[in-house]
Amino acid sequence: MIPERYQRYVPAAGFVVGLLLMWQTFYAVRETEFVLVTQFGRPVYTVTSAGLHAKWFFQNATFFDKRLRVYNPRPSEFLTRDKKNLVIESYVAWRIEDPKRFVETVGDPVAAEMRLHDIVWSGLSASLGTHDLEAIISPNVEAVKAGSMLDALASTTGRSALAEYGIRVVDVRIKRLNLPEQNKQSVYARMRAERERIARQYRAEGEEQALSIRADADRQRDEIVSAAYKEAEKTKGEGDAEATRVYSQAYSKNPRFYKLLRTLESYKKIFDDKTTAILSSDSELLKVLMRGESAQ
Amino acid sequence: MIDHSHSHGGGHSHGHDHGGDGASLPRLSFEWLDVGKLRGVDKRRWLGGAAVLWVLSGLYIVSADQQAVVTRFGAVVEPRVMPGIHYALPWPVDSVTKLKVRQLQRRVIGGEAPDTVLGRLQPLASQFLTGDQNILHLRVVTQYSVAVPADYLFRSADVAQLTGAVVESELARRIARRTVDSVLTTEKAAIQEEVRAGAQKVLNEYAAGVLLASVNIESATPPPEAADAFRDVASARADAARIVNEAQGYANDVIPKARGEAQQLLEAAQGYKLRKVNEAQGDAARFTQVAAEYGRAADVNGRRIYAEAMEEILPRIKKLIVDSRGNLDLTIIRKGDGPAAKP
Repeated sequence: MIPERYQRYVPAAGFVVGLLLMWQTFYAVRETEFVLVTQFGRPVYTVTSAGLHAKWFFQNATFFDKRLRVYNPRPSEFLTRDKKNLVIESYVAWRIEDPKRFVETVGDPVAAEMRLHDIVWSGLSASLGTHDLEAIISPNVEAVKAGSMLDALASTTGRSALAEYGIRVVDVRIKRLNLPEQNKQSVYARMRAERERIARQYRAEGEEQALSIRADADRQRDEIVSAAYKEAEKTKGEGDAEATRVYSQAYSKNPRFYKLLRTLESYKKIFDDKTTAILSSDSELLKVLMRGESAQ
Repeated sequence: MIDHSHSHGGGHSHGHDHGGDGASLPRLSFEWLDVGKLRGVDKRRWLGGAAVLWVLSGLYIVSADQQAVVTRFGAVVEPRVMPGIHYALPWPVDSVTKLKVRQLQRRVIGGEAPDTVLGRLQPLASQFLTGDQNILHLRVVTQYSVAVPADYLFRSADVAQLTGAVVESELARRIARRTVDSVLTTEKAAIQEEVRAGAQKVLNEYAAGVLLASVNIESATPPPEAADAFRDVASARADAARIVNEAQGYANDVIPKARGEAQQLLEAAQGYKLRKVNEAQGDAARFTQVAAEYGRAADVNGRRIYAEAMEEILPRIKKLIVDSRGNLDLTIIRKGDGPAAKP
């Protein structure tokens, strides 16, 4: 029996023991967790819903993170069907789905990721081996089937992983596509050659465009000037015709006088100081000079 | 951003360091466990005060830029508590997690992050492969915030890493479908929007509770090994633009000049026409006038006009006057002879 001097501690001790029992019985499960209840190391049942739960004090609760995790396998080199090398960096979104199975097979997330690596690697390798490089990277949208290819990969990988290890692969996606390091130099060389070609093309096209602009300008100039010439000559002709008409209208009223005037006018222009005129003394002008008044 | 404030302020009131007689507690003695030692009134006051504090500790404030999630023994009971003052059951029952939902978080993809302490270059991390098998160096910054607080907190282990991975995979896929030129020039904005929308869709499938605000391609550059060739393309483009501009300049110079020249021709022709017609009309008017006068005395006027003309003409020229009845000796005409009259 409890000695009397300790009797007064009994309620307090009972309280402490009660607390410990409660501590062992009740446990809170967070939204992020699964709980696997084990009895002497043997899994009994799994708790998937969050909240306050109870177990026997002799059972153990093991907590598992059920959140979605991202695993990044190391970048690895794969061979496509047309024997081209591609370095692929992928990520796997996964989570624990069956804690019992998980703890029985792999145990902890690091080991799980090692398994995932193998599964995803073999999946990618098989999948890429059935596709040409063109089907994965190409500016031609129709040719790119990478999306559907990876969806298929994710679902097959997911099924196998779940069955074996109690984990669920939610998604497998290619994060990065690259070419192997040893191919880079030739790729750079090709890029340079391509750029040089494009640069030449740009310059030539510029030249072409410039020439056509210049030619077009010259043509327009000729067109404008010649059209104006045509119009101008027409106008001039009109002027000449009008003038001729006016002249002929006026002159035809007195052709004799016109003839006289015009002839004299011509004389004025024809004769200059180098002209020697041999005049007959019989001429109208000189008759008077030679014969005096009688000549009239 | 995440502020785990377990509302347990009143919880301490259970502890032994509380109460009026705290100073007199003897060390290594269990006497203090004997609540019966306390006098009745003290005990009631002690327990009552503790209980009130415990109940009050459930009050919490969600500030304007925050939203909160309340969990009860780990299970979500209030997935989204808006700003204001609220009450949750005190520790250890309820737990309140506050989130700054609007605060944008940054994640850099590719290239070296500007905020890395070591400042290491990661050339491989920034390389992307375009559809025409060119290698490009990209640096992309994505910004995101909280869309669904409960999902954000509980559905994924590392939201930042997950968001980064999703955006990166969408980016790699879009880049792999385009040519290097379109990535570098025209389609940057389209890629950004496609990546944002695509990544958002995937994140929604994962129920990550993330809202992607923006995906921004901060820099897209060719690899250093081919950079000069790319620069040459840019300068070729500039050269082409320059010579086209020069040609345009030539056209802009030639055509107006031609138009001016044409106008000049037309004006000159108009002038010519007017001049010709006016002259003709003037001449005609003059002739008509003179002819009218001439007609009145044709003989006299004719003779006068003739004589006037001769007066004007004859002084300028050399003249030989020969008798109409005699023979003419042409040898008298010698070069250099001045005007002379011979009878």
